[in-house]
Amino acid sequence: MNINYDLARYEYDMDKCVGCKGCVWVDHIYMPGVRFGIKCPSNIYDPFDAYAYVGRSKIGLAFLKGKLDYSDKLLDVIYKCNLCGACDAGCKRNLDLEQIPVLEALRAKCVADGKGPLPAHKKVAQNIEENGNRFGASQNNRFKWLPDGAVSSGADLVYFPGCAASYIDNDIAKATIEILKLSGRAFATLEDRDHCCGHPVAEVGMIDQAKKIAEANIQALKDTGAKTILTSCAECYKAWKVDYPKLLAKSTADMDYKVIHLSEFVDDLLEKGQINFTRDVKMKVTWHDPCHLGRQSEPWVHWEGTRGKAGILDQPKVYRRGTEGIYQAPRNILNKIPGLEIVEMPRTRENTLCCGSGGGAREAFEDYAQSIGAERIEEAESISVEAIVSGCPYCKENFIKAGKSAGKDVKAYDLSELILMALK
Amino acid sequence: MAIPKEAYEAFESIVGARYISADPVVLEAYCGGRMGHGKDLGIDREMNMLAAGVVMPLTTEEVQAVVKVANRYKIPYLPASTYWVTHCAAKRDDQIIIDLKRMKTLKIDEKNMYATVESGVIYSQLQEEAMKRGLYITVPGGGAQAAVIPNHLTWGLSPLNYRNGMPCRRILGTEWVLPDGEILNLGSLSMSDDPFWGEGPGPDLRGLMRGWTGWFGALGIVTQMTVKLLPFQPEPLIKSGISPDTTLLLPTNRMKWYNFRMPDRQSLVEAMYEMGRCEVGAAATKVPIFWRYIAKSKSKEDFWEQWGTEAAENDVKNDHIFRVMLIGYTSEAQLEYEERVLMDIVVEKYGGKAGRTRQSDESWIKNADSAGMWWMTGGYVSVEVTVDTIDCAVKGGEGLAELKKAYTPPLMEDYGDPGWFQVSELGHNGYLEFLTYYDPDDEDIKKTDEWVYTAVPKFDVQVGLFNGFKIYESPLELTGKAYGPNVKDWMLKTKAIFDPNNLSNPPVPADVDELIEKVDWLKKEW
Repeated sequence: MNINYDLARYEYDMDKCVGCKGCVWVDHIYMPGVRFGIKCPSNIYDPFDAYAYVGRSKIGLAFLKGKLDYSDKLLDVIYKCNLCGACDAGCKRNLDLEQIPVLEALRAKCVADGKGPLPAHKKVAQNIEENGNRFGASQNNRFKWLPDGAVSSGADLVYFPGCAASYIDNDIAKATIEILKLSGRAFATLEDRDHCCGHPVAEVGMIDQAKKIAEANIQALKDTGAKTILTSCAECYKAWKVDYPKLLAKSTADMDYKVIHLSEFVDDLLEKGQINFTRDVKMKVTWHDPCHLGRQSEPWVHWEGTRGKAGILDQPKVYRRGTEGIYQAPRNILNKIPGLEIVEMPRTRENTLCCGSGGGAREAFEDYAQSIGAERIEEAESISVEAIVSGCPYCKENFIKAGKSAGKDVKAYDLSELILMALK
Repeated sequence: MAIPKEAYEAFESIVGARYISADPVVLEAYCGGRMGHGKDLGIDREMNMLAAGVVMPLTTEEVQAVVKVANRYKIPYLPASTYWVTHCAAKRDDQIIIDLKRMKTLKIDEKNMYATVESGVIYSQLQEEAMKRGLYITVPGGGAQAAVIPNHLTWGLSPLNYRNGMPCRRILGTEWVLPDGEILNLGSLSMSDDPFWGEGPGPDLRGLMRGWTGWFGALGIVTQMTVKLLPFQPEPLIKSGISPDTTLLLPTNRMKWYNFRMPDRQSLVEAMYEMGRCEVGAAATKVPIFWRYIAKSKSKEDFWEQWGTEAAENDVKNDHIFRVMLIGYTSEAQLEYEERVLMDIVVEKYGGKAGRTRQSDESWIKNADSAGMWWMTGGYVSVEVTVDTIDCAVKGGEGLAELKKAYTPPLMEDYGDPGWFQVSELGHNGYLEFLTYYDPDDEDIKKTDEWVYTAVPKFDVQVGLFNGFKIYESPLELTGKAYGPNVKDWMLKTKAIFDPNNLSNPPVPADVDELIEKVDWLKKEW
């Protein structure tokens, strides 16, 4: 078992939960009131303690000690969670318990024991195995959206569009390469070796398969000679930045590449004056922090220490508390778009509410995913905006789906689309 | 044990299939309560167990119906909102948990300055809504995540009680589902829908409902409570920072924190008294030194690198930090005036030195991050919460610090710190809370049990400390006889009258007595 996914390594993090429910509530300093006061999507949908870390920690401990056996309910509790990291950041406000590693390790154990993931996840894994993408579409169509001559072979920047932008929302990919073109920055792709980032299998606990994908993708990048990989997808971003080193038992700093999200890339261009927004975008919008771009995007720092008396660590550990997430770059961009009015939702940054799609919920729990999407749309409605903007295609997709099924009239955009609107 | 099928179906018909569960996975999530205070001590290890079911009512009528069904089938139950102590966990084989978190109505009467809340509303939610209306409430040391109703029933201590008074005095009209399922409305709520007054017209049984520090679920369920809000100053507090360093920036023309380093403990106490006599200030407290170390540490390991040093020991012995908040409730001029008075008292008369302090608040206005208390060792319990005089608080704290030496280790070394003490109600009473930290995995944990369950209560009886928590953390057989005309008998008789079937969170309030009968390492030597 990979040390980072070994549930036994996290016994303290389960046992020493004190029930303050920092995993559930919005940070009390930012608490907006009764409405929108909970940031754990799972516990909004199902209020039993079992559907929040406060309960999952006890369940996980009993599971580890052999006091609980596999059941449909156990798998439901373990998988009906977006792995959004709201709990993790909340706990590290006070206690520094490693909640996301626990939740990921629980899934890894289910897979190792042959009980997980859920059938819908297995289908995704099969799609990735057979076709290189989560949708089961043909690999030949992966770059259909890419105009001839857009790519500069040998460029030091590789654009990694991800499955969603390649197959179900080409507008994001098209907008991204248009932005690259307008910036004058040459870029390459992984060409026929461009496949799924592996996040969909990593997040459901299929660690061995995820590791193979990570190794293949890293090798493909290495073979281009490029050192920087650009994503317009928060999931891909987190996969390259956090999942890969975690899967390989290394630190992000020790990887031979750097990953940047489009928001960081454009923020830097704007800061240096290399591009400027020239067109008005007359709209009132709000920024939805994608979990994997925000609180979950801090670098992974490998740690092999142990705990001693009173839980004190024998080696220093760098905690990922959600403090250094990519929160400001997208806001800087939006604030520079002429005519655009930005309003914050009650739950933002490390307290953001997940769109509902992540953690495998999109495939396995559609009702749940859309219910949380609708909850987020209601939050956007509470501040009277026309659109929600995000930096992850799965957020956008889920807001559109949830909005339709709930009869809501809020639009959803990807950040790349707004940037392009302001550029040309 | 399981709930009888007919009873389960009856509960299900009340709350709906979605809000009841007897699945072992769901029940495991409630095992031991939402354990914090007293985690892994004797009560937790020896008595707490899995519940037989969880039901989640939405309304008072549903709570009432659930309680009546429980009485019909003789099923013990535990009311739970944000429960956080060892007493609030299932201790009987077939006990159910009535999880009240779905009850989250919050209404504020701005004109008459009160809020009506249901059981699932927590302090930070109430504080946010109150502040939007120019009002505020004291967020207690127990934390902003504490539910408003049970905290008003139990304790609710904060440096802000210096000005705002004890929370139990701020309870107005109340709706109470008695242990047998009858609803009893207290104060003006008994005569009309208006809960504006606690004393009446109508019955005022708040003393019975609350007792000394509440009943921890052993006397039914308060489903709705109206609490007083207090006038605040009009400037906004700016929410700032990213976790873990989030804070409220104070409007310094209206609010300020002050830190004074006093020459000795006596001068600190005298300064507290005199502040009260002058009726200036919003909050006043003596700061346990380890709180300062927690505040400046970047991690648990960082804390221990700093705490386990001679410098820390010297700080505890020599640093007497007096922390004061002033609020210009009515005007900037009020703040300016009170600041001059404060400086006259603390600096000129008692020789305090004003130190630097951030003009922000992350601890008392809206947050009260009590969860950090568990951070250093993994286990925490307050063994003393005494409301008496400040002299009593100081002497009690010093005596306990001395007694604690015999139990350190396994208790965390805190170099003789006499705990958290402060004046409340403008000096009319004093408060002592003696905090104890322990490693729940320590092989000598039974010695920590002895400290909590027998050593401290015996000390209390010996020196006459009237300790609220110890009514629940000690054998009533010991403290009951010492605290009055046999408190134990009165409590158990009261309980028997209101709860003839003994179903409301048994065996509280006598759970420690039961523990002592059960285990061999706690002796009935008194």
